[in-house]
Amino acid sequence: MLKASKVHFCIRQRPIVDEVSLELNPGEILAVLGPNGAGKSTFFKILSGDIECKHGAIGYNGHDIYTLKSRELAEVRAVMPQHTQVNFPFTVQEVVELGLISTKAKDPSKLIREVLEATNTTHLKDQVFNTLSGGEKQRVQLARVLVQIWETKPFPRYLLLDEPTSSLDIAQQHAVLKILETLKTRNIGILVILHELNLAAQYADKIALLKNGMIAKTGTVEDVLEEEILAHVFDHPIHLIPNPATGGVFVSSAASSHPNIQTFKQA
Amino acid sequence: MISTLSYTKTQSQNLILLGFGLVLGLVLLMSLSMGAFSIPFPQTLAILFDQVGMSLGTFEMQQENVLLQIRMPRVLMAILVGGGLGIAGAALQGMFRNPLVEPGLIGVSSGSALFAVIFMVLVPVTASLAWIKPIGLPLFAFVGGLINVLAVYKLSKSRGRTDAATLILAGVAINALAGALIGLVLFFADDSALRSFTFWSLGDLGGATWRKIPVSLVLIAIPSALLLFNSRQLNALALGEQEAFHMGVNVQRVKLQLLVFSALIVGAGVSMVGMIGFVGLVVPHLIRILFGADHRLVLPGSFLLGAILLNFADLIARVIVIPAEMPIGVITALIGAPFFIWLIFNLNKSKN
Repeated sequence: MLKASKVHFCIRQRPIVDEVSLELNPGEILAVLGPNGAGKSTFFKILSGDIECKHGAIGYNGHDIYTLKSRELAEVRAVMPQHTQVNFPFTVQEVVELGLISTKAKDPSKLIREVLEATNTTHLKDQVFNTLSGGEKQRVQLARVLVQIWETKPFPRYLLLDEPTSSLDIAQQHAVLKILETLKTRNIGILVILHELNLAAQYADKIALLKNGMIAKTGTVEDVLEEEILAHVFDHPIHLIPNPATGGVFVSSAASSHPNIQTFKQA
Repeated sequence: MISTLSYTKTQSQNLILLGFGLVLGLVLLMSLSMGAFSIPFPQTLAILFDQVGMSLGTFEMQQENVLLQIRMPRVLMAILVGGGLGIAGAALQGMFRNPLVEPGLIGVSSGSALFAVIFMVLVPVTASLAWIKPIGLPLFAFVGGLINVLAVYKLSKSRGRTDAATLILAGVAINALAGALIGLVLFFADDSALRSFTFWSLGDLGGATWRKIPVSLVLIAIPSALLLFNSRQLNALALGEQEAFHMGVNVQRVKLQLLVFSALIVGAGVSMVGMIGFVGLVVPHLIRILFGADHRLVLPGSFLLGAILLNFADLIARVIVIPAEMPIGVITALIGAPFFIWLIFNLNKSKN
C-alpha cells in the first residue's frame, strides 16, 4: 500500500498541501482531481519523492520514503511527469531503454517490445525523440515509465502519472487509460492526476478531490461524484447525467446563464 | 528482433570507436614523423619497433632523440589534453543538459588559469614548498576550475533545469572576473613569476616533457576513465534530473562525480598546456551529429576525437610556419569558431 499520512507542505508560511492523508492499494486506479492551484502537483511531487514534506509521512509498502535509496524507490514506483524535455538527439528506443537503468531485468528486450506495443509506438522506435509530435512524445514517455514496472514482481508497485492525457486526442486518451486498467491485474496501484472528469468517472476506482491543498472529498466514484461537491470544488456549476454508453454518469460542465455564478473576471 | 538490434548497436559502437582509434594511430604516426626536423615514415616505425625489441631497419641517433625525447611526450600530452577536453566537454554538456556548455565558455578554464597563476606567483615566495610544484600546479588549477563550475551551475539552475541564457551570462561574468583577478595577481608578481606565466599562457604543447607525463596521466587519464562509468546515468540525466531520480539514479552523487572529474581533467590540462578553446565544445557535437546521443558512445568517442583533433591541430601548428610554431590556440579557434557560429545558426533555425 502507498500511504500518505497528514502530508503538509508550506511555501512562505502558506500551506500548499494541508494535512493530506490518502491511501492507494495495488490493483486500483485513484484519480486526483481539482482546480488549478489546488496543490495537486505539489502533492504529486511529495508522493514521488521529488520534494520532502515538512510534516507527515509517506510509506511505500510500509517503508518510509525517506529511508529508501533512489534505486530502491525506483523498484516500487514509476513516475510520469507532465512534461519531459530531451535536449539531445536520442532515439525512441534509447529513451524507453532508460526506464530499465536501475532494474536488473531478466529479458530487457522482451519488456521493451511489450511496452512499445502497449503504447502503440513500435513503429517509432528508430526515430529521434525530438522529431515526434506532442502526442507521440507522451506515449513514448509512457512506454519509458511502464517498462520500469512491467516485469512481474512479488511485491506491489505503484505508478504515479501527472496528466498523462494532456496532449492526446480522444482515442489516445482512452487508449492510455485502458493501458492503466490492464496494470491493475499486475499488482500495481495507479495514481493519476486528471483534468477530464469524464475520464475519471469512467476508469477510476476511487477519486480524491483536492481544493486549497486539502482533500475536499475522497471515496469511490459513486460517493465523490455529486453535483454539489463538484460545483463547490471547481467553482462552476456541474451536472451529472446518466451515461447510457457506460451505465455510469456523464459529467457536464456546460456554462450556465445563471446570473449569480462567479465569472472569470470576478474570480 | 530488438535484442539483435541492441546487440548490433553495441557492435557498431565498438566499430566506430575502433575506427577512431585507427585514425588516432595514423595521426600520431604523422605527428611523430613530421615537423621542422623530418623523420621519414620507415625510420619512424623502425624507432618505435626498436623500443619493443624488434628491428625493422636503421635510423640515426639524432632521429631517435628527436622522436623519443621531443615529439613523443608532446604527442602523449596532446592525446591526454585533447582527449580530456573532449570527454570533459561531453560530460558537462550532458550534466547541464545543454549543448552550448564548454569548459572555456562557462569559466572552468579561466578558473583553472586564475588558480594556476596564483600558484605560480605565490610558490616562489615560500621556497620550502617548491617540491610540490609539479603536482601542486594542476591541483590548484583543479580547485579553481571546480569553484567556477560550481558557481556557474548554481547561478544558472532554476527549478531543476539550466537556463541557456543565464548559463552563458554567468559564464561571461565569471570569465571576466577571473580575467581581472589574473591581472591583479600579475600586478603583484615578480619577474621570474611573470616569465613563467608568459611561457605558460602562450598555451602550446612545446613545453611537454617526459617529466610532466606521469602527473598528467594520473590527473587526466584516471578521471576520464572514471567518467565512462557514468555514461548510462548521463543518458538518464538527459531526460531531466527529476526523471533520472524517478528511474533510480542517485542524482546528487552522479552530479558531484561529473563536476569533480571534469574540473580535474580541465584543471590539469590547463595547468600543463594553457587554455585551449573549442575542443570541448566541438568534439562532443560532432560525435552526436554523426552517431547519436548515447553517452556510452559520446564519452569515449569524444576522448578519441579530441585526441585526434588536438594532435592534428598541433601538427598543423608545427608545420605551417617551419621553423617557427603557430600557437595551437590559434589553430583550434580557427577550426572551432566557424563551427560554433554554424551551431548557433542551426539552434536558431530549429527553434523557429
